[in-house]
Amino acid sequence: MNIVECTEINKTYQQGKVEVQALRGISLNIKKGGFIALAGPSGSGKTTLLNIIGGLDHADSGTVNVDGQSFDKMNQSQLANLRLHSIGFVFQSYNLIPVLSAAENVEFVMLLQGIPAAERQGRARTILDDVGLKDKYDRRPAELSGGQQQRVAVARAIVSNPSIVLADEPTANLDSKTGQGLLEMMKKMNVEKKVTFVFSTHDQMVMDYARRLVLIHDGLIDNDLVKKN
Amino acid sequence: MHIHLAWRNIWRNPRRTTVILTAVVIGIWSMVFLGALMRGMMTGMIDNGISTLTGDIQVHHKGYRNDPVIENSMTNPSMLKKILNDTLPNGSQWTARIRVNAVANNARHYSGVTMVGINPAQEAKISFIGPERIQGKYLDSMDHHGIVIGRELLEKFETRIGKKLVLMSQDTNQEIASRAFKIIGIFTAEMKATEKQFVFVTMSAAEKMLKLKNTISEISIIIPENHNNSKIASDIREVLPPKDYEVHTWQELLHILTAYLEMFDQFMYIWFVVVFIAMGFGIVNTTLMAVYERMREFGLLKALGMKPWWIVRSVIYESFLLLIMGMAIGNLLAFACIHALSKNGIDLSYLAEGADYFGISRIIFPDIFFQDVLVANLVVIVLGIIVSIYPAVRAARFTPVEALAHI
Amino acid sequence: MSIDIKMAWRNIWRNPRRTIITISAIAFACLLLVFMLSFQFGSYETMINSSIKIHAGHLQIQAKEYQEKQNIRMVVPNPEETGRILDNVLYVESYTYRAKAFSLVSSKNRTYGVMVIGIDPSREKMVSTIKNSIRQGSYLSMEDKNQAIVGRLLAKNLGVLPGDELTIMGQGRDGSIAATVVSVKGIYASGIDEFDRSSIQIPLTVFQDVYTMDNAVHEVVVIGDSLRNISKIKKNVQGQLKKLKENEFLTVLDWEELMPGLRQGIEMDLTMGIVFYLLLIIVVAFSILNTFLMAIFERTKEFGVLMAIGTTPGRITKLLLIESISLTMVGIIAGIFIGSLLTLFFQYHGIDLSGSSELLAQYGISGMIYPKLSLLSALSGPFAVFFITVLAALYPALKIRKLQPVEAMLHV
Repeated sequence: MNIVECTEINKTYQQGKVEVQALRGISLNIKKGGFIALAGPSGSGKTTLLNIIGGLDHADSGTVNVDGQSFDKMNQSQLANLRLHSIGFVFQSYNLIPVLSAAENVEFVMLLQGIPAAERQGRARTILDDVGLKDKYDRRPAELSGGQQQRVAVARAIVSNPSIVLADEPTANLDSKTGQGLLEMMKKMNVEKKVTFVFSTHDQMVMDYARRLVLIHDGLIDNDLVKKN
Repeated sequence: MHIHLAWRNIWRNPRRTTVILTAVVIGIWSMVFLGALMRGMMTGMIDNGISTLTGDIQVHHKGYRNDPVIENSMTNPSMLKKILNDTLPNGSQWTARIRVNAVANNARHYSGVTMVGINPAQEAKISFIGPERIQGKYLDSMDHHGIVIGRELLEKFETRIGKKLVLMSQDTNQEIASRAFKIIGIFTAEMKATEKQFVFVTMSAAEKMLKLKNTISEISIIIPENHNNSKIASDIREVLPPKDYEVHTWQELLHILTAYLEMFDQFMYIWFVVVFIAMGFGIVNTTLMAVYERMREFGLLKALGMKPWWIVRSVIYESFLLLIMGMAIGNLLAFACIHALSKNGIDLSYLAEGADYFGISRIIFPDIFFQDVLVANLVVIVLGIIVSIYPAVRAARFTPVEALAHI
Repeated sequence: MSIDIKMAWRNIWRNPRRTIITISAIAFACLLLVFMLSFQFGSYETMINSSIKIHAGHLQIQAKEYQEKQNIRMVVPNPEETGRILDNVLYVESYTYRAKAFSLVSSKNRTYGVMVIGIDPSREKMVSTIKNSIRQGSYLSMEDKNQAIVGRLLAKNLGVLPGDELTIMGQGRDGSIAATVVSVKGIYASGIDEFDRSSIQIPLTVFQDVYTMDNAVHEVVVIGDSLRNISKIKKNVQGQLKKLKENEFLTVLDWEELMPGLRQGIEMDLTMGIVFYLLLIIVVAFSILNTFLMAIFERTKEFGVLMAIGTTPGRITKLLLIESISLTMVGIIAGIFIGSLLTLFFQYHGIDLSGSSELLAQYGISGMIYPKLSLLSALSGPFAVFFITVLAALYPALKIRKLQPVEAMLHV
């Protein structure tokens, strides 16, 4: 079953006075339970594709379906609602809310979903335990290391059981050891909780971990490899 | 060069600059504009006070001001005339009056009034009374029975032009003297109280009624505009025998008004400072923000060997420029508003009795006092620069390491 | 505590220096307004009370048009009957009768035209403060016949002291000459110069005799228990008067109608004050608008993230408004608190303005002014500050709605 279906996506940016064609008719389907890396050099369009799949950005043409819902006719708050329930995000620079503690950052998404406080707390703690942050519940982002912050970000992304987690260069700001730990953890989540992960990356380690590797170059898919285990 | 750099820095964040500039502009505008309105109110009160039979300087017989009765009159007008003609600068005007408390009555009403015996032609040059503010006829110096009264009194007495009005007062023999007059004219004045208080007859009619000869109770003098009335008053004082005469300036005569003036002065300067404090918080905060945003830049400059003093100076230049801009626009706006109001003024007639209560004219014309404008602008620029020293010094204190660590 | 408020509170203190400056600006405006409004209300109350207590009273029953014309023939013919009505009206504390006539008053050497007022000494002392403002001699009593009390400035002008004689000459109600000789029993200084310069008081019975008033008076002066209940008393008395046909030429005037100048003067003073205060608040609002703007623009990236994880723009606007409102509230509460303390201090100790006492005596204010803290004076200024500040905060908070998540996240 496909969670994401993209067909013929085009996207052009205005960068200063220059027009940049980021995506030139990309089509991509992603199945449930995947662990997929979109790889390519910077400027290849992989982040743009990720943003479009996440409903953060609009495609100039083409259609995007996530969880069987088409983005075409959605307004801002419908998109926000879709992101809230079906999509999780992990960013390169962690992007936690600086005034909230680790547990509160995770809880925040559930708060938006209207989950009662007691359940929120329980689930936030469980998920933080799962990502290996027991005893760090009440730390603020500034009191956590980069790797720990990114773990909180992953916990925040998966806590509401989204159909898909989109991770934009999640390891880029981490040293390789920390990055590997994070990837192990995400892999575990993928296996145990059947969370679908899509990465955009140019980190070899991420590509190694991925079970499917989509190579993007100049806004087009160069190669689509499905590894066999 | 510095100014040029400061100018560019100010506009790095146009929205923020516009906001704080607006605060400064409104502040300055309110200082200058409201200042001019208040001054206008004061000037109105003073002009009104002076024209309501006060003048710039008055000469009386000793004791008249405490006890304004006919016994305290001046008995040698020809000597006074000569002295005044010798002492007063060219362009001065003066007139003599007989002024006593009296009771006016007709068949139905009684009221206490001030009876003023005037020299009609000369009086018109000095005070508010004169042919152009009269309905009916103004007095003629040969008229022995005509009387001009205020509209309020006329209405209170339910009478009209052509009707009889009797005045009673104490004559020189301390007997009650009374005389019937015919109302020939009605005057209107700025204050209702004035219309109720004063009735005008000719000097000769007053003399006849009070059995006086060659006697006056008051001399009122108007001096040309560029002369100092207290100096002229002391000149007159010197030539008049001090045991028989007293000379007063309007500031002494209208001492309550003078007290008002002083209070308004204080109030205005307090207001300037209060408005400044209100915008001062904004100036400090905005400058701090601008400085913290450029922490890296300042750290870098220091790493390159820039002296802290130079950084302090450049931040202060920016505040200075901002303040100057705000002041220019604020003053311009204020002057535009003042100009717009200078023709018609602000009409307070809907609160006429309130205006009367405070002795304020019913129409206020703004009046620019150079000193107020100067003080307002000085307060803003001087205090403005003083408060921006704090962010400027903060900026100069960033160490290169701290600054480069800042994201 | 809800997470929204927790977030807002923590965000406020992310930049303590900026926050403190902003709170100070708001607190400054509030404390100034609390103090100034209390000061103004306090002096108005003094002005109103001194005029009410000296001559006007809270309410007067008069013949129609007497107020404008002050004609001696426009009388309340049966004062006792009106008194019986007042005895049964709720909130009425006391009342008295007065008759007035403009007359010539002469001492040995001087003559002045003044208002001669006939008063009922036993009733008058419950209505007016003149009894307590006798400076020389003593107040009138019920037994007095041809005695008078004289205003301080008039006594000075006439050159009389207690014991001296005065001749009164005027016109009676029937048009006849009214004349009598009285001796000065006391001299009063009411505090209102104009009143002290132009009035003398004699016993009502003497007045009625001299001016051929029969039993009639000109004013029935009523004092209620407080300013608040005056309109109720007025309505009630009007209703009672209407029941009798012979009373239809009587009218009830409250203090505002009796002293229109005072009321409009207060209105004018208040209006001018409000213009000044509004301008001050607007300057403060622009002063702190930058704080609100900055608090938002330097966090654009954060809002981008919030949107990416599914927060709606409306929710972010709400978060920001909670933030600005809490910040404003802290400033306002601090301002009300400090302003009230300051006001209470001066309410207790008074503000010495004896430097301008002559000026203030015109309005019935002695050398000291006591500000009066009330719910109105403590809250109306800060409420205006709150309203205008929130208006200022609304602009940046609404701008958030136009934010696009991708652009926002690219923002540094």
